[in-house]
Amino acid sequence: MILPTEQLTQILMVMVLATAAIIIMKRDIRSLIKTYAFQSLLVAVMALVFYIETGAVTLLLLAVVFIISKVWIIPHFMGKVQQKLNIKRDIKFHFLSPITALIVSLFILLFVYLAFTPLIAELNRFNSTLFTLGATVGVSIVFMGMIVIFTRKQTLTNVVGYLTMENGVVLFSLFLTELPMLIEILIIIDLIMLTLIATVLAFGIDSTIEEFHARLNPFSREQQTKKPEETTQ
Amino acid sequence: MNSLDIILALYAVLGAAITVATCLSKSHKTQNTLSMILPVCYLALTLYILMATQLPAYGLGSDYFLIDHLSIYEILIAATLFLLAAVYSRQYVKDSIFIHEMDESNLRLYYAAFNMLLMAVVYVFLADNLALFWILAELTTAFSAILIVILNAPKNIGAALKYIFITSTCMLFAFIGLILIFTLTEDLIGVGTLNWSMLMSVAGGLSPGIMFAAFIFTFVGFAAKSGIVPFHAWLPTAYSKAPGPISAILSGTVTTIGVYGILRMYTIVAQTAAIGKIQILLIAFGVISMIIAALTMLREPNLKKLIGYSSIEHMGFVLVGLGIGTSVAMFWVVFYFLAHAFTKSSLFLSAGIIKHQYGSVRLEYIKNVFQLQSFAGWSLILGAFSIIGMPVSAIFLAKLGILAQSTLVSPVLTVVLLTVFLFAAAAFGVFMIKMLSRKEDSTADVPYFHVGWGMKIPIAILLAIVFVLGLFFPEQLTTLLNTIVSELGVT
Repeated sequence: MILPTEQLTQILMVMVLATAAIIIMKRDIRSLIKTYAFQSLLVAVMALVFYIETGAVTLLLLAVVFIISKVWIIPHFMGKVQQKLNIKRDIKFHFLSPITALIVSLFILLFVYLAFTPLIAELNRFNSTLFTLGATVGVSIVFMGMIVIFTRKQTLTNVVGYLTMENGVVLFSLFLTELPMLIEILIIIDLIMLTLIATVLAFGIDSTIEEFHARLNPFSREQQTKKPEETTQ
Repeated sequence: MNSLDIILALYAVLGAAITVATCLSKSHKTQNTLSMILPVCYLALTLYILMATQLPAYGLGSDYFLIDHLSIYEILIAATLFLLAAVYSRQYVKDSIFIHEMDESNLRLYYAAFNMLLMAVVYVFLADNLALFWILAELTTAFSAILIVILNAPKNIGAALKYIFITSTCMLFAFIGLILIFTLTEDLIGVGTLNWSMLMSVAGGLSPGIMFAAFIFTFVGFAAKSGIVPFHAWLPTAYSKAPGPISAILSGTVTTIGVYGILRMYTIVAQTAAIGKIQILLIAFGVISMIIAALTMLREPNLKKLIGYSSIEHMGFVLVGLGIGTSVAMFWVVFYFLAHAFTKSSLFLSAGIIKHQYGSVRLEYIKNVFQLQSFAGWSLILGAFSIIGMPVSAIFLAKLGILAQSTLVSPVLTVVLLTVFLFAAAAFGVFMIKMLSRKEDSTADVPYFHVGWGMKIPIAILLAIVFVLGLFFPEQLTTLLNTIVSELGVT
């Protein structure tokens, strides 16, 4: 039996929320990237479900673009970078441990729900329960991605956090309205650019630290007399 | 196609052509000259628009770009700063390579990113569609980050990453706000729109509750772009690590983009019932930013960080001016963009000379400034004099104008603002006295760094503009500012 759209959407939403929780908890960068790819796939499926229901071609295109860019290209690229950088796990955390972060995000979920219910009620939407739920999950995922950015030290994990946030924004926009295709495409280009720059910079940090370690011994005496702002090159 | 469309397309064509030419050319001189040509072209084109066309007008169809006096004004400021920064870069970059602060192989990237940043900045100010504005603002972050990491220092990478992550994270929240606005207009007029001009005409009918929420979300994003507390952590680091000319253009133009976005949003919500709450919010964030920045400045040992924190203080003050919201306050806020941009850039360019002379901008390394770099010493004194708002500087006028209006909100606000100014002035005063009075008999360990005219002239021009505007306020500028205020619909 085919599930009705509403139930299907709800199941998908819970799954997206679960992937966000996994991203907050996981330390292993490789599986973080895989979880992100899966999350993007869920968002793409959500767009497809909406396409089937409304018949808007934009949604179909959007789903295709997501699958190409966010399920395939970006995770593939980040996987390559992760292999080269050879960083496997996030060990240190800022401010919050993963468990506390998860509890905090539960509170965020509640808070966002309370804040958005009256707002969505003001908009004329035919099925306001579903829309409230979608908006809540979308915005909560944005916050959860932010928590990932601020609690993790590895740049790659931060990028995954940023990408998760963007998925949240997309989810939010899917539920509320249909943005013009051009804007959606531009956002994805922006996403790819920032991911590229951030990961290239991650390389930079890594290599300079290696060089730094290699040079530490022979130059240790000079290091002390050097001015703090001087370059290490 | 009318002439405006052609000019709008020319901005992109010229930008792309010059960037490509930069990438192809091999000598530093050509690359540098090219990046001087681009702002000159932009200045000429923009002045032509201002003189010859009827504004405000749509460009390239009615969906994406709107040219009004505010955008022209901002582009003129930006192009002037980029031109001066390019002139300054000629020697600065050469010296950076000489002292191994920068690799010669990165020259092309430097100038290419420089030109692309100018192009993105120009289009940011032309964008009518708020989503387009958002995307272009993100692009400026990306190009700025490239320009920050151009130096061979590991700390720069950290600074750029911090910059990217904090601003982009907050900008995503801004996008949630934009989606809310889009949905709201879809309900109201049938088709969703994010066009500022369109929103201005329908703003009266928008729901105040949702507009308030949307404003908060967009505020978070745009405030981060301007370094408003609590989203400011990236600003002092990024500005202090960037090369001198880049710090100047970042503080003068890229920081303004955020406040510019807030200004545009403000004019929309000003027509709804939510405006009362939003004014309080703006004043609160502005005052908090100012207080935190001023207190941090008091014990800041790093010259460029001091100037960076001062940017936070000034952006906070601009928010307060917006929060006051009268047309007079708005007049001075818009003028403040110009005054702050030129003064702050002159300070960063002067700090660039200090950086190359002593290899550091920290207080403990700077000594015998007047023996070694008397020009930088004097320009820093004049710049500091101007930035703290002493009489006969442009900032003095703007500060006075906004302060006088602040009494309309509450005299307490005026007193608080004055106290914060006192702290900021004290911070600059103490720093300058400490820095300029440090003398040591032997200067043998510090080799003299020759500063050519190419580096002195931009600073002199900026300071001249700042002080001339303080003494003599041209009528054309008054007319332009009045037109901008009336176009923004502020009464």
